[in-house]
Amino acid sequence: MGHPLHIKPLPSGTNRRSFLKGSLPAALAAASAPMLLSAAGKALAAAPAGVFQHGVASGDPLADRVILWTRITPPVAKAAVNVAYVVATDPGMQAVVRRGTTKTNTDRDLTVKIDVSGLQPATTFYYRFTSEGASSPIGRTRTLPVGSTANLRMAVVSCSNHAYGYFNAYRRVAERADLDLVVHLGDYLYEYGPNVYGSLRTPEPPNEMVTLSDYRKRHAQYKRDADLQEVHRQHPFVCIWDDHEITNDSWVNGAQNHTEGAEGSWAQRVDTGLQAYYEWMPIRVPDVAQKRRNQRAFQIGNLVDLVMLEERLSARSQQLPATVPTPFGNGFVQAGEFTNPNRTLLGVEQETWLATRLRTSTARWKIIGQGVMFAQIKLVAAPVAAGGGVFVNSDQWDGYQPARDRIYAVLKGGAGQPPVDNCVILTGDIHSSWAADLTQDPNNANLALGGYDPASGTGSHAVEFVATSVTSPGLPDPNGSTAAFLRSVNPHFKYIDFNQRGYMLLDVTPERAVCEWWFVDTVDSTSAVENFGTAFEVRDGDNHLQPSAQTPDRVNPPAPAP
Amino acid sequence: MPTLSISRTLLAASFALVTAGAQAADFQFTGNLVNNTDRVHITFDLGSAADVKLWTDSWSSGQNFDPISALWVKSGSDYTLVQEVDDDSSVASGQGAFDTGMSFTGLAAGQYLYTVGPTFLEPFAKGTLLSGGFTQDGIPATPIALWDQPGFDINNNDQKGTFYSIHLTGVNMAAITVVPEPGSIAMLLAGLGVLGGVARRRQQHRPRTGNTGNRRHLAAQRAPNHALA
Repeated sequence: MGHPLHIKPLPSGTNRRSFLKGSLPAALAAASAPMLLSAAGKALAAAPAGVFQHGVASGDPLADRVILWTRITPPVAKAAVNVAYVVATDPGMQAVVRRGTTKTNTDRDLTVKIDVSGLQPATTFYYRFTSEGASSPIGRTRTLPVGSTANLRMAVVSCSNHAYGYFNAYRRVAERADLDLVVHLGDYLYEYGPNVYGSLRTPEPPNEMVTLSDYRKRHAQYKRDADLQEVHRQHPFVCIWDDHEITNDSWVNGAQNHTEGAEGSWAQRVDTGLQAYYEWMPIRVPDVAQKRRNQRAFQIGNLVDLVMLEERLSARSQQLPATVPTPFGNGFVQAGEFTNPNRTLLGVEQETWLATRLRTSTARWKIIGQGVMFAQIKLVAAPVAAGGGVFVNSDQWDGYQPARDRIYAVLKGGAGQPPVDNCVILTGDIHSSWAADLTQDPNNANLALGGYDPASGTGSHAVEFVATSVTSPGLPDPNGSTAAFLRSVNPHFKYIDFNQRGYMLLDVTPERAVCEWWFVDTVDSTSAVENFGTAFEVRDGDNHLQPSAQTPDRVNPPAPAP
Repeated sequence: MPTLSISRTLLAASFALVTAGAQAADFQFTGNLVNNTDRVHITFDLGSAADVKLWTDSWSSGQNFDPISALWVKSGSDYTLVQEVDDDSSVASGQGAFDTGMSFTGLAAGQYLYTVGPTFLEPFAKGTLLSGGFTQDGIPATPIALWDQPGFDINNNDQKGTFYSIHLTGVNMAAITVVPEPGSIAMLLAGLGVLGGVARRRQQHRPRTGNTGNRRHLAAQRAPNHALA
C-alpha cells in the first residue's frame, strides 16, 4: 500500500501544538507548516493481518522479570481467548526457560500482558505467543544487570506522531542489536483528528480521541505500524506518558485541548485514556488503585539508577499564560503567581520520593527520564538578581521555578545533606535537540554568587539531554539562526538543533555518560538513511558537558529476533 | 427462582437440597470458596430429557475468580464427563467474558453432577471419569484472595474475590456441596493436630463429615468465609 506523494497544508492557525506551544512568535510557530514530500521511499509492507497483527512488545525490565505484551485479533469474534507463551534464551526457541498460559477478554480489548519472573539478570531472552491456532512473531528482550556493571547502551525517543510521518527513527533503533533498552519519554501517540496535526497518514478513528473506543482504536493503529512493531519486537521499552497520551497540555485538573462537558469530564477522560494506555503499552502498573501515579525506578546494576517521572496527571498545577511582550512574541517573567511555591509539576509525594531516591542512590549515575525541559530557555537574558529575564514556555519547568529550585536544592546539597553528583536528565516534548548544563543562574557570571561559567561549566549541577521527535515537526531553522540566537541568550546550551527528526543514543560507563544525536533524512517516506548529528558527554564527578564522539557498537551483540 | 446461599444453609447441614417438585425450575447457588483448589459440586436429576442451562455470573469483570466447569453423568458407581467449559458468556444475560456456562437441548434423563472451580487454564477434569480426579488435585492450596490467577489482569490485579453464583435451569432438583482439594484437608487436619488435647477432645464430639476422598461436604470449616454470600 503506497502513500500520497503530497500532503495537504495544515489549516492556517489551527495547529494547536505549535513549537514551544504557542509561546514563540507566530512567525516561528507558523513555520512548522509541512513541505512537499519527496518521492515515496520503498513500498510499505502490506497492512498487517491475522491474530497477531498488532505485534509483540516487552517493557519495564528488572533484573529478574520483564513485561511481555501482545494483542489477540481472533479470526471469529470472541469474548475470551486463551494465550500460551514461551520464553527461551535462543532465537531458535529451543532453550526454553519459561512456558505458560494466560487469557484475555474484550474487557481488556483482547490485549495480553504478563510479568514473567524468575529470569536471570543481564540476559537476552526471546519470546513468542500462540493463540487461536497462530504463532506470534518472535520478540527479543533483556533483563537488567545486578552488581558491577560496565556499560549501559540505550536509545531515547519521544514525540512519535503517526499522522505526521513515518517512524524511520524507530526502524533505525530496531536495527541496533546492542541496546539494553529503549526509553520513550512520551507523546507516544497523539489525540488529534485528521489534518489537525499532521496529514501524511489519516488517524483512526477519524476524530479526536475522547471515548474509550477512540483511545483503543488509536493505540491499535499505532501498533499496526511496521516500524513501531519492529522496535518493540527487538528491544524492551521503558515508557512514560507526556500530555498527548490523553490530550495536549494536560495538568491535574484539565488540559488545553479538553472541553469540559462537551468532551465529558476530565476525570473520566483521564481514566479512559489511561485504561487504553495500560492495556496497549508494555508497562508495569506501579499502583493499580491510582493509575495516574506512574513514577517508577529501574536499578541498572551499580551503574545507573533510572528514575522515570510523571509530570502531567498526578499533581501538575495549571500552566500560567505568557503575557510579557518581547520583540519575539510573548514570554513571561518570574514574578507574581510564577513564584508561588505551591505550584508543582510532581506533587509533594513524588518530589519527596525523587529527593530520597537521588540522595540514597548508590549507583554511579542518576538518570532521570521526564517530560518537559528542565533547563531555562529565555528570550531576554538577565541574572536572577536582576529579575532573571524573559522566559519562553510556561508548560516547561520554567513555568514552575520554585518547584525546580527544590530539585536544585537536592542536587546542591546543604542543610545536612550531601550534594548529588552525576545526575543526567533526559527530556522529550519539544521536537528538537538540546544539550544543556543545568544551572539556576545561567546569565550570572559571578560564581561566588551562584552564577555559571559557560566556558568551564563551573556552576552547573547536572546536565540535560533533550531528544528530538521521531516524527513531530520542529522549527525550520535552515541556517541555524534561531538556534544561534537562543544560544546567545542561553549560554548553558551547548547544542541546539531544530531541523532534525531522530533519536538519542546514550552510552554510559562508570567514567562518562555519552549522548549521541542520530537523525533520519526524512519522515515523509520510508527511508533507511540516518546520520550522526553530534555527541556530548559528562564525566564522572564533572556535572557539566563537554564535546564527545561516537561510541563504538558493542562487539558480538545478541542475535536480533528473527 | 429458588436462591440458595451456602453461607446460611451449610452451617446447618452437610449438604443443601433444593427441590421444586415435579416442575422444572431455575436455581441459583451462591457462596464463597476459600482456596484455588476448592470446587463446588451440584447434583441434579433429570427424570426425562430436558433443555438445561448451567452457568455462572459471578466473575463480574474480574471482581471474583475466573470459573471453569464440568458436567458429569452418573455411570455405574462413577460419573462420566459430559462436557467441560472454561469460558462461555453466551448462555445467559449477566455473564461476563470469563464466566462459564453450558446449554443443552434435550439433555438425556440421568443423574448429573455439575462441578465448578477456579480455572488453572488447564483441563479441569483429569480424564473422562470423575474417579480420575481433577488436574488441581495435589497442588498446594493457595487462598484465592492471594492468588494471581493464570488469567489475571496485572493492570488491575483482579480475580481475587471468592464469591460464586451458579445458575441451573430446566432441572427439578439440585443439591450442592463444596469440595476442598484433598491436600487442603490434610493441611487442615495437620493444623488441628497441633492444637493438642483440647482439639482432640473437641473432635470426639464432632459429627462425622462423610469424607469420601476429594468429595467432602464442608460445613463448619467454610463458615468464616461466607460473609459475601
